Amino acid sequence: MTLLSAKGLHKSFGGVRAVRDISCDIPEGTVFAIIGPNGAGKSTMLNLISGVYQPESGSLTFAGQTLAGLPAYRRVRLGIARTFQKIRLFKQLSVLDNVVAGFHVHHDIPAWHYLLHGGAFRRDQARCRADAMELLAFVGLAARREALAGSLSYGEQRMLEFARALATKPKLLLIDEPAAGLNAAEVDSLLDRILTTRKQGVTVVVVEHNMELVMNVADRILVMDYGQHLFEGAPAEVQKNPAVASAYLGGELM
Amino acid sequence: MSDAAISRAVHPWWASRRLGFLAAALVIAALPMMLTGNYWQTNLTICAINVLLALGLDFILGYAGQLNLGQSAFYGLGAYVSTLLITRLGVPFWAAFAAGVAFAGLAGMILATFAVRLRGHYLAIASLGFAVITYQILLNWINLTQGPLGIYAIPPPPAITIPGLPAISFRNPVALFYLVAGVTLLVYFILDQLVRSPIGETLTAIREDEVSAASLGINTALWKVFAFGVGAAVGGAAGCFYATFVGTLVPDAFFITESFTILAMVIVGGMGTLIGPVFGAVLLTLLPEVLRGVGDLRLMVYGAVLTLVVLFMPGGLVQAARVVGARLGLSR
Repeated sequence: MTLLSAKGLHKSFGGVRAVRDISCDIPEGTVFAIIGPNGAGKSTMLNLISGVYQPESGSLTFAGQTLAGLPAYRRVRLGIARTFQKIRLFKQLSVLDNVVAGFHVHHDIPAWHYLLHGGAFRRDQARCRADAMELLAFVGLAARREALAGSLSYGEQRMLEFARALATKPKLLLIDEPAAGLNAAEVDSLLDRILTTRKQGVTVVVVEHNMELVMNVADRILVMDYGQHLFEGAPAEVQKNPAVASAYLGGELM
Repeated sequence: MSDAAISRAVHPWWASRRLGFLAAALVIAALPMMLTGNYWQTNLTICAINVLLALGLDFILGYAGQLNLGQSAFYGLGAYVSTLLITRLGVPFWAAFAAGVAFAGLAGMILATFAVRLRGHYLAIASLGFAVITYQILLNWINLTQGPLGIYAIPPPPAITIPGLPAISFRNPVALFYLVAGVTLLVYFILDQLVRSPIGETLTAIREDEVSAASLGINTALWKVFAFGVGAAVGGAAGCFYATFVGTLVPDAFFITESFTILAMVIVGGMGTLIGPVFGAVLLTLLPEVLRGVGDLRLMVYGAVLTLVVLFMPGGLVQAARVVGARLGLSR
């Protein structure tokens, strides 16, 4: 079943046509990778899906519902979460509070509880913290829960951003260049977690330069070049495709 | 993590927080007895009013991270709206108080609705512009505000009568101090509850990174309007008390320099904490009084203190207390 469907997306910035006539169907429960050379429009695609940008033309349908005109924060309620290419954590907040902030759309308590902190409020707080600790344990940051997010290493910050995005309980998780700046061991542990996340029923869209990661993790790959659709298929097909090889892979994977 | 550990994490300071409020109430009760005489009692009430102003700004600036230079306008609107309702229409004090608070809060929300796309310098300029416009209106709408001539003989709040006890008259400056300080303590409690709820996390998330906050489903525009509404309403409450305490109103009390004084209180105390601005407000209210002996030099001392804080102690008094506490081995 298709979770997200894009039809004829266009987006330009000034004279630069960042995304030109891109269509794709992302099946539920898969890892869908978007690859391409620098400036191919991969990140723009993520920004169109997450609602940071609105397309000039074309349509996005998520779980049968149109996303046209919906701002980013409304898409989170539908189940679309994301991480950022350039890490954007709440640096002055603790690791735990970063994740707890991710539960923003999942507090089901009457408003007056925010003033009087009744029993339902305390249960909600305890539940959020317990869930947040679970997510931190999942990404291996449980021991750092009291540290300020800004004091974490680069790799830890990526993991924390991943955990924070999961806190919104997404159906679709958009990950923008997760392996950038990570060492080999960190890439491996990240790959593990992406696959676990998919097993838990979350559909993942990943934009990535790291070929090894993409080939190992993706079920389907969309290759973009100069904003255009170059090829779409399974990893093995992508590796064999001569157009992809000349545009992007060169001799690297032959 | 065990359940007990989690519940401790939810309310780590609950026991001491209760004690803190009790201690604050005792200090408020004791102050007018220790500092007797008209001069000190006037200063005490001014302190309480300034604490209110600083708390209101801190909610907007320290928590939601919005550089608001319009706090003097909300202060003035609270003062003039409540006073005009009392003196012109004979509205009972507490109804006028509620109206002044609501009007200031609404003005804050309207300003934020238009300024919500701006941040940093641009928001500062827009809010400062709002303060200038409000001041000019108070100064020049003479039919309504009597402009620079001022409004005189503003009555104190009505006496509280409890059957079987002597009536509490707010013509007594000590009683008025208790009223203002009591409301200030209540406001502190309310803001403290709010910032320790998910609302606190939401506002600080917006302060730290708006794009990121939106990516977690936070409607940043809505929450900024909320923060402005609350902070401006608290500023309005301070204005209502100021008018009834001083008994006369002139627009100059709400000139834009007042915005910067309140800003200084928040920064010197420590933005993004509630206790910091309390001490910042008290310090910057009393410092000029203590320095009266050195005449005009006091402005220089005042300026030097501000500069030193910004340069060496950007976290304000709260940061200083933490550093000292850590040196003494008192911190966690």
